[in-house]
Amino acid sequence: MEDMYQMDRTMSTEQDIKIRANGVQVYYADNQAIKDVDVEIQDKMVTAFIGPSGCGKSTFLRCINRMNDTIDICRVEGDIRIDGEDIYDPRVDPVQLRAKVGMVFQKPNPFPKSIYDNVAYGPKIHGLARNKAELDEIVEKALRRGAIWDEVKDRLHAPGTGLSGGQQQRLCIARAVATEPEVLLMDEPCSALDPIATAQVEELIDELRQNYSVVIVTHSMQQAARVSQRTAFFHLGNLVEFGDTDKIFTNPEDPRTESYISGRIG
Amino acid sequence: MSNVMLVLIVLGLGVIGFVLGRGRAMSAAGGDRRNLHSLPMYYGANVGLNAVVPAMLVLFAWLIVQPMVINSSVSGMIPEAEIAEGSNLSLMMSDVRRVAEGLDLAVGQGAMTEAETRSAGEDLDGLRDNLAGVGVALGSDITDSTFAAAQRYRVLAGTGHLWKTIATITASLIGLAVAYRMTSTTFRARNVVERGILMVLIAAASIAILTTLGIVLSLIFNTVEFFRLYAASDFFFSLSWNPSFSGRGGGSELGILPLLWGTLYISFIALLVAVPIGLFAAIYLSEYASKPVRAFAKPLLELLAGIPTIVYGLFALLTVGPLLVSVFGRDGALGVDWMQGGTAVMTAGLVMGIMLIPFVSSLSDDIINAVPQAMRDGSLGLGATHSETVRQVILPAALPGIVGAILLAASRAIGETMIVVLGAGAAARLSMNPFDAMTTVTAKIVSQLTGDSDFASPEALVAFALGITLFVITLGLNVFALFIVRKYREQYE
Amino acid sequence: MTDATHGTPLRNKGKSILEVDARTKKRNAAEARFKGYGIAAIGISLFFLVSLLIAIISNGIPAFTQTFVNVEVELLEEKLDKNGNRDIADIKKVSTFGYKPLIENAMVKAAEGIETELSDKDLSKILSASAAAILRDYVIANPDQIGETVEFRLLTSSRVDGYMKGRVVREDLARDKNLDAAHLDLIDVMVERGAVERVFNWDFITGSDASESRPEQAGIGVSMLGSFFMMLVVLVLALPIGVAASIYLEEFAPQNRFTDLIEVNISNLAAVPSIVFGILGLAVFIQFAHLPQSAPIVGGLTLTLMTLPTIVISTRASLKAVPPSIRDAALGVGASKMQAIFHHVLPLAMPGILTGTIIGLAQALGETAPLLLIGMVGYIATNYPEGVTSGFLDPNSAMPAQIYEWAKRADPAFYERAWGGIIVLLVFLLTMNLIAIILRRRFERRW
Repeated sequence: MEDMYQMDRTMSTEQDIKIRANGVQVYYADNQAIKDVDVEIQDKMVTAFIGPSGCGKSTFLRCINRMNDTIDICRVEGDIRIDGEDIYDPRVDPVQLRAKVGMVFQKPNPFPKSIYDNVAYGPKIHGLARNKAELDEIVEKALRRGAIWDEVKDRLHAPGTGLSGGQQQRLCIARAVATEPEVLLMDEPCSALDPIATAQVEELIDELRQNYSVVIVTHSMQQAARVSQRTAFFHLGNLVEFGDTDKIFTNPEDPRTESYISGRIG
Repeated sequence: MSNVMLVLIVLGLGVIGFVLGRGRAMSAAGGDRRNLHSLPMYYGANVGLNAVVPAMLVLFAWLIVQPMVINSSVSGMIPEAEIAEGSNLSLMMSDVRRVAEGLDLAVGQGAMTEAETRSAGEDLDGLRDNLAGVGVALGSDITDSTFAAAQRYRVLAGTGHLWKTIATITASLIGLAVAYRMTSTTFRARNVVERGILMVLIAAASIAILTTLGIVLSLIFNTVEFFRLYAASDFFFSLSWNPSFSGRGGGSELGILPLLWGTLYISFIALLVAVPIGLFAAIYLSEYASKPVRAFAKPLLELLAGIPTIVYGLFALLTVGPLLVSVFGRDGALGVDWMQGGTAVMTAGLVMGIMLIPFVSSLSDDIINAVPQAMRDGSLGLGATHSETVRQVILPAALPGIVGAILLAASRAIGETMIVVLGAGAAARLSMNPFDAMTTVTAKIVSQLTGDSDFASPEALVAFALGITLFVITLGLNVFALFIVRKYREQYE
Repeated sequence: MTDATHGTPLRNKGKSILEVDARTKKRNAAEARFKGYGIAAIGISLFFLVSLLIAIISNGIPAFTQTFVNVEVELLEEKLDKNGNRDIADIKKVSTFGYKPLIENAMVKAAEGIETELSDKDLSKILSASAAAILRDYVIANPDQIGETVEFRLLTSSRVDGYMKGRVVREDLARDKNLDAAHLDLIDVMVERGAVERVFNWDFITGSDASESRPEQAGIGVSMLGSFFMMLVVLVLALPIGVAASIYLEEFAPQNRFTDLIEVNISNLAAVPSIVFGILGLAVFIQFAHLPQSAPIVGGLTLTLMTLPTIVISTRASLKAVPPSIRDAALGVGASKMQAIFHHVLPLAMPGILTGTIIGLAQALGETAPLLLIGMVGYIATNYPEGVTSGFLDPNSAMPAQIYEWAKRADPAFYERAWGGIIVLLVFLLTMNLIAIILRRRFERRW
């Protein structure tokens, strides 16, 4: 896998593709929120979803780990496959799927528990550790990957809600990483953070790319340009354009993309 | 002139004041209301209110003060020596009042003339029969001093009544006149009236304080009276509750501990039923139930909460009690002979538990719903199942609130009366067997205050000591619970 | 796949999501169990509700029918009016005891042709003890009927009534001195003849309480009136005071100690046990203010104090729901704050306030414990009050207290009355709650 990463990004092969979505439609009761979206998300790469608010980018993201199942009126049609397996197959247990596809939310949402327990929660419920020592190891590793270990290693048993906003969000990322997912979905992870915390998180996302396939929804085009390799532009529930980030930002094909990039809509 | 009549007169003066004030304002403005500072009705209202409010205050104060003054003046007439064994001054005074009332009544009905009442002192037995004839039955014999005191009472009451009428009407007229004179085009009538209304609003809000004060004072005064007749240490530490039924006689054992034990035992069983069922019902309704199920089950649960406690009491006495006996009784299905009668701790506890289910569930429902959706998303997003999310994230987060809810439910259980009066039995007992009949603080308050025993006897006054204990316990629980719940709410606001 | 069983950290990597692994199966089982507990809890609660309702209805419905005997009574002149001059004063001198022989004769006639071992005298045990009084009242009202034979519909005794309703069976009567099994055989025949019948019992709904020995005569009507007068007091006092207090707290009160004190008081009073309010009523209104004991006015005052916190809490919620923009709009055209509130905010909050008030009233209507302490117990509800003033001031009972009184009595025939009373009470409560729901639906405004 490592050497595959060295290949040209634009030359996506079948093995490279982690998630393939075909003809996805999402309805909230009678409103269609997503119209016929096809996307291919590659492994070990950051894919950004951009677009004006209400364009369906978050809705689509939540389809990928079936978080939309928790909304009664939401209905998903079409085909989403991870490693070639249909995630809406009746045999799939969403619990197992979500262990494989982690998620970080818009607002940092640490549980009202200690930092340690926050991170250990996922490994515990999935039974990833055989004993306390192994759990400690997992927690440390996750906190290191979340780039927050140095800041919290002396107060692992302090409540997670006592951290600053940026620290909380990195804790949430560490929490998501601790279950060893293969894909990490991030729903506007920096929108509640100040610029310094944002920079830290963005740096972290870039590092995460080495181990995970990352999908990030963002409001900020600059952020998409900074962290992603591939960008999808959503508008009114349609996937308007999807391609290399460089190309989308420098030479978009669709006039709607261009209007958005240049700030005329959105 | 009766008080009702007096109030009507004052209100009439108020209406007259309104019309006069409005008229004066309009004429001062030369018939053009634009020349006035405020709308004409405010001038009328100002005069009207000035005619009514001070007069009413005078009347109200008079009604409170007059009986006190008369009492203290008359009670001096009863010699210390005449206070019979087992009686006290307040009992004698109530006799005096009854005689006075009876005399008034007899005169009013024409059974006696005013002259006859004066000479009635020579034939006290005849007087007693006379009073019985008009419906005033006297417990003890009328003594000379009682009769003299009653006569004095009547004279004072009559004078007081006359002066009360004069004072009230004078106050009303003065208020009317002053306000009428103040009325002019530049007078800021609206501001004055609005200030008056604000005073009324504040007074209404203060009723909450007065109620609490009333509760505390009535409990404390009577409890102090009780502790004068009965040792406080016996009340709090005696292990036996055994009031004598003779009324005034001594020899009662009035220990609160058996009652507290019954109360706590029954409440414990009630919570044992209500907390798991209520909590799981709340979890199911707020986390799992589909909309139609929720729309169907929630009102039904609330129906359980709207049913009056007397209904639950009857259900305990006539349905659940016999049912439990048929299972745990002598010839019951289990053949264990644990239960002698239908009324028992178990009966009352079980039914009270049913009553508390909706209380626990709706409070917990609110509290669970207050846990932010982000917590659920965070947990589900990590691949936790719904029940893992509930048990490991939502419940710990909601724990303080739920503890508060349970404390409130406990306070409800401890203060509940009708279910235990009908379902728990009457015998005070310190027993571990939940199928025994026991009794509670509230049940004994009812029985001690509704029995025939004299109001001034320790057997009746003990109810106030029980009441204050109950009040303190439930108040403590409530304050603590409300504090916890409020702290919890603030956390997620 | 050995990784999965040993649970190494990289367990998830590259594993198919289409296969549910053992651990997930276990977790899903736990999930199903947990959900099952929830369903069980709901099920148990609903089961309790249903059994409560079944108990109420099955035990209470019989109270709404009553067994009567149709008998022809010969109003013998030599017994009722010896002088034959129809002088009311003389007729009144005949006590109910004097009517006993007439009833006995009538019962003998009614039982004519039926074989029974009962003596003629014992036959009238079938009837309620009230029969003689009913006859006497009739004769006093219609003296000209003396000497005639008049058909009466008389109440049967509660045991006969119980037999007709299936509550009393023959075995129960073995030790009963009031009725024998032979009576029941007689009743069976009389039912066939149509002389004994069960009809709808209006007297239960409109009647008054009766003495302990006459459960067949007891009704809930008078105590219903007592409840009505109490509710009037509560409505007239609690609504304006509650609204005034809420307006002050919500709109005017500055943030200070005094306001805090009021707020704390209200929230605590809402949770004080109702019996404590009974003690308050007893001590303040009866002991201190010397208001008449057992009177609906005292009950009403006590319940007012108890209901006020409920009304204040719901009124404040309704006031809070009116958006500040309405207040701003009124203030903006130069209305005073008082005018803004009374002209605009209060009318908009009114539906919510009324809903809260009705719910508070319903709560007060079902409350029992405080009433017991101020003496509003059942056995005094035997007279209809005369006029409005006496409605407030005369001793009376209230529905829940009447039910309690019946439940305490020894004769099981009263239990049926108690359950029946509960049905009447619940009908009132249900109606009030329905009105509240309709009000809310009809006028609810979403801002």
